[in-house]
Amino acid sequence: MKTDTLWLRIATLAFVLPGTGGALAHHSTAAEFESGKPVTFTGTVQKVMWMNPHIYTYVEVKQPDGTSFVYHVEGGAPNGLFRQGWRKDSLPVGTLVSVSGWRARNPDSPNVGQATMTTADGSKLFSGDGPAKAAP
Amino acid sequence: MPRPVRLICVAALQCSLMTAWAATPDTTIPQMANGKPDLSGHWANPYVPDMARAGSVLDPLTRKPLQLSRAPLPDARASAAGGTPRSMDLPYTDWGLARWKAYDPVNEGDYAGSCLPFGMSRNINSPHGVQFVQNPAALAMLFEQNTWFHWVPTAGQKWPDDIPPSWNGVSTGHWEGDTLVVETTGFNGYTRLDTAGHPHSRQLKLTNTFRLVDARTIEHTVIVHDPKAYTRDWMNVRTWKLKPASDVVMEYSCEENNLGNLFSGAIKPWKPPENDDED
Repeated sequence: MKTDTLWLRIATLAFVLPGTGGALAHHSTAAEFESGKPVTFTGTVQKVMWMNPHIYTYVEVKQPDGTSFVYHVEGGAPNGLFRQGWRKDSLPVGTLVSVSGWRARNPDSPNVGQATMTTADGSKLFSGDGPAKAAP
Repeated sequence: MPRPVRLICVAALQCSLMTAWAATPDTTIPQMANGKPDLSGHWANPYVPDMARAGSVLDPLTRKPLQLSRAPLPDARASAAGGTPRSMDLPYTDWGLARWKAYDPVNEGDYAGSCLPFGMSRNINSPHGVQFVQNPAALAMLFEQNTWFHWVPTAGQKWPDDIPPSWNGVSTGHWEGDTLVVETTGFNGYTRLDTAGHPHSRQLKLTNTFRLVDARTIEHTVIVHDPKAYTRDWMNVRTWKLKPASDVVMEYSCEENNLGNLFSGAIKPWKPPENDDED
């Protein structure tokens, strides 16, 4: 890799890398999610909605009564994630994931914001460099 | 000269040359047919959710930080940007301070969450990059944020005097030496300067300047002039970097997800103020 290209990549990453999906929110996250309502759960990925302005991962969690609840876990902006090397199929359906984040202010909403999502081996999903990082 | 000394001299020279090479920017400034700098390119503008963060609010005349009390405002409404308490972080007028304290995206909704135009200031503050397309007569700003555009005539063309106020305002550009100066007025008063919710009135004049420091670097400044909201003008200075050629401007549709969130109530819809004349 040419040195100037490397530096450009580093400079670009400095601007686009989010700590979490919510860190790049371009509108108020506090308006939508409540820090006083933290939530942690483990479930299986039902689908990934690769949409603007934030992607959503649908995570199905089995309840003690045998029913299931599907959380909608908010991630970063899809264009930024694409540049970091993430794709819609980076997280296959059926993957077991652990999530921690904030519940929505609206009690009827299944949305979870400011979320950290990890796989069983501890890998963070949709954060930092993704598997397709070879393409900037 | 003894051999060890010669070796040290050669090593020092090599080190010096390598350091100089690494630090040397590409000083070739691309030019348009009229000899003015060509700002065309896909730029990484820094994400600025809070234009008043400590150390960033400058005096436009001296470029030194303004002395601000930053006294806490315990009677302000719910915070917009993730719980950061509000303070006297800008030189507010009474009107501006009242607007700052009253901003409540939690209970009243924010227009950006409703996918309405962010306004010129928040467009430039947004994190997704901007493509500049320029010729001697005009500059087109193609914001990836919501696939919005902004047209800036730079060769004396005039906008209609009676053009209606708008979310993004209208801009004209002119050159001061090799610096492009873009002045924007004609705002509808519905927008905020940044994600944190800093206020402005319809009297706002934004002056954005763009100067190519080298072929891949822009020095960007923005001056906020709004005598209704602020007792004096203030300024931010930022550095933009050219993105790699492989990093292309992409489509972005806020409504894609937020429409459903607005319908479901996960995002509170924004409504225009009842007394439209106050702004």
